[in-house]
Amino acid sequence: MSASRAGVSVVAAVAVAVLCGVAGQAQLSVADFKSNRPTPRTAAGKPDLSGYWKGTTDTRPGGNIGKDLPGWKLPLTPAGEAALQHNLTATIDPESLCIIGGIPRHNASGLPFEVLQGANKIAFLYWYSYFRLIPIDANRKHSDDPDPSFFGEELGRWEGDTLVIDSIGFKDEKVWIDENANPHSDALHVVERWTRPDGDHIHVETLIEDSKFYTRPFTYSRTWVLGKPDEEIQEYACSENNVDAAHLGFGPGPIRPDGTRGYIDPAPLPPPLPRTVK
Amino acid sequence: MKRILSVVAVLAALASAPLAAHHSFAAEFDATKAIRIMGTLTKVEWTNPHIYFYLDAKDEQGNPVRWTCESGAPGALTRRGFKRGDLKLGDTIVVDGYRAKNGANLVDARRVTLADGRIVSGASAGDGGPQ
Repeated sequence: MSASRAGVSVVAAVAVAVLCGVAGQAQLSVADFKSNRPTPRTAAGKPDLSGYWKGTTDTRPGGNIGKDLPGWKLPLTPAGEAALQHNLTATIDPESLCIIGGIPRHNASGLPFEVLQGANKIAFLYWYSYFRLIPIDANRKHSDDPDPSFFGEELGRWEGDTLVIDSIGFKDEKVWIDENANPHSDALHVVERWTRPDGDHIHVETLIEDSKFYTRPFTYSRTWVLGKPDEEIQEYACSENNVDAAHLGFGPGPIRPDGTRGYIDPAPLPPPLPRTVK
Repeated sequence: MKRILSVVAVLAALASAPLAAHHSFAAEFDATKAIRIMGTLTKVEWTNPHIYFYLDAKDEQGNPVRWTCESGAPGALTRRGFKRGDLKLGDTIVVDGYRAKNGANLVDARRVTLADGRIVSGASAGDGGPQ
């Protein structure tokens, strides 16, 4: 065997080993991220949700708000189906144009997020330098006619150890409810129920109602794991240099049978160059 | 062996990279149009939400053509070992990637062979593109 062929064999063997590691990681569930640390609590005795939270590879299909539904099939009304087709064929992903993704899309995102919790408010900080600041006050009521926004009018309250965030007043233009271009209307009502079952996990149970676009309410649940102490949100200026914006097509592109975005059978890249390191 | 380790480093970085896609790969690029571009580095934009670098190359007829190469975000690339200082104007760079769906001279630079022979991943992690 020549030296070069031997080198290729070694690369192939190591690559297989590493890729097997990838596959192994992909099979990890959040339960595999063991925690023996108790839920941290505030001076008032409530769970402290603060932390830098990262998704896990078992959230599949990622970026799909229908993740927990059989076949990822959303219960679209005829109007919802028409809105979906409009999103797929006539709109560019708003988030790629630096428009706020909003809720519940941010909860389905692959990007980590950070929570800073105070006594009467809680802040969710997102990459792209977006945030939402939510009052925690059981006595506050929704406005009669809230100004539409991407995160909606959000009200927080404690129910035992669960932080409930109830949101209405959403926009109905330039919004995708997830990365697959699924729609929502201005009738959207989102109820998030956040818990921190131990020191290293945060969990949300989400109820999504939208009588214009969906025939019935549906749910989306997810767990994230705590990042390392030195991990935090950093500057990520979405609109700094959007060369890509002029080249983006409508919709997210093909959606695979597994509910993710992308091509099923991509062409392989040319083989790596057999170059010598200088 | 150094090159072998580079390949391993790239794969390991991809294995541990956080999902950080700004948009779906398939919204911009055509996975059926793989391409290799070899050219001279003329400009670098180490910016969010993607870095861009520009190569002067030649087409199949020998005519000059300028390629725009798109990769991931600076933070994600730096964490996997692809740093701003790796791109020096005048370098000969090889990019293996996929062409833009709209036919522009724009490529998703998923594998970048630097002037010193190192291979780094330029992919936007979690974008659904070919691995």
